[in-house]
Amino acid sequence: MAETRAALRRHGAWAALAIGMLVPCAARPAEPATHLITMENMQFSPPLRSVRVGDRVVWTNRDLVAHTATAAQRFDSRSVAPNASWTFVAREPGRIDYVCTFHPTMKGSLVVE
Amino acid sequence: MKLPLNTLALSALIAAALGSHAQGSAPTDPQIAAIVVAANQVDIDAGKLAKSKAHSTQVKDFAQLMINDHSGVNKSATELVTRLKVKPEDNPTSDSLKKGGADNVAKLTRLSGVEFDRAYVEHEVAYHQTVLDALDKTLIPNAKNEELKALMVKVRPAFVAHLEHAKQLQATLGKSSG
Repeated sequence: MAETRAALRRHGAWAALAIGMLVPCAARPAEPATHLITMENMQFSPPLRSVRVGDRVVWTNRDLVAHTATAAQRFDSRSVAPNASWTFVAREPGRIDYVCTFHPTMKGSLVVE
Repeated sequence: MKLPLNTLALSALIAAALGSHAQGSAPTDPQIAAIVVAANQVDIDAGKLAKSKAHSTQVKDFAQLMINDHSGVNKSATELVTRLKVKPEDNPTSDSLKKGGADNVAKLTRLSGVEFDRAYVEHEVAYHQTVLDALDKTLIPNAKNEELKALMVKVRPAFVAHLEHAKQLQATLGKSSG
């Protein structure tokens, strides 16, 4: 038992050292994430997505018809063909409502934090 | 707003043709393929006329969308039936759709301005509703091949969106007429 405790202590020490080495990494800002949004069944899915400044948002068209992801003054994918994708990098915080300019019933929102 | 007598007549014609399948023998996959292709082609043809003749920009844009979307659907449908070696087979329903489409184009050709826009959009509302009914009641339930069935299920939301879009346009055109 004593040996086990000693081993645990040793491991514990190593673990503490390892965590100590990791802390500076954790304190740095998170790496930009990539968020996937599909255009399918004439809908953006998910319709509402929260992202962080610097993150990439990729829209992929899974329908048989072309779509756009368009937010006035903010971004415009223009026509995204079936099976094609389009990427936007969020640069400023705020809520962005967007539509498919071809199909006005398709609506989505991004919340950039 | 004028009552869409001709539109009702068209819907009745198509519904009767589709009903004949529902009451009698169910359509086969080759017949369903011909119906799908005809249904899309009819709307492409109407769209091409409307793109050149429509009065309002909104209606022109809608017409272009119909050309693009229904061409896209027909491309996928044609690729699928070619791969499946299903040869589209004309039948009373596909013939009726084609005749209804030709009659609509003939009628629209004689109209112009706002009158054209209203008649075109009115027909688009009825057409998309009729095709949706056909998909739900006849085409999807009777398709034997799973991929053919899946294609129609995948296409269905586009017809719903087009119907909604056409109805919105119809409301706008109604308002603008006073």
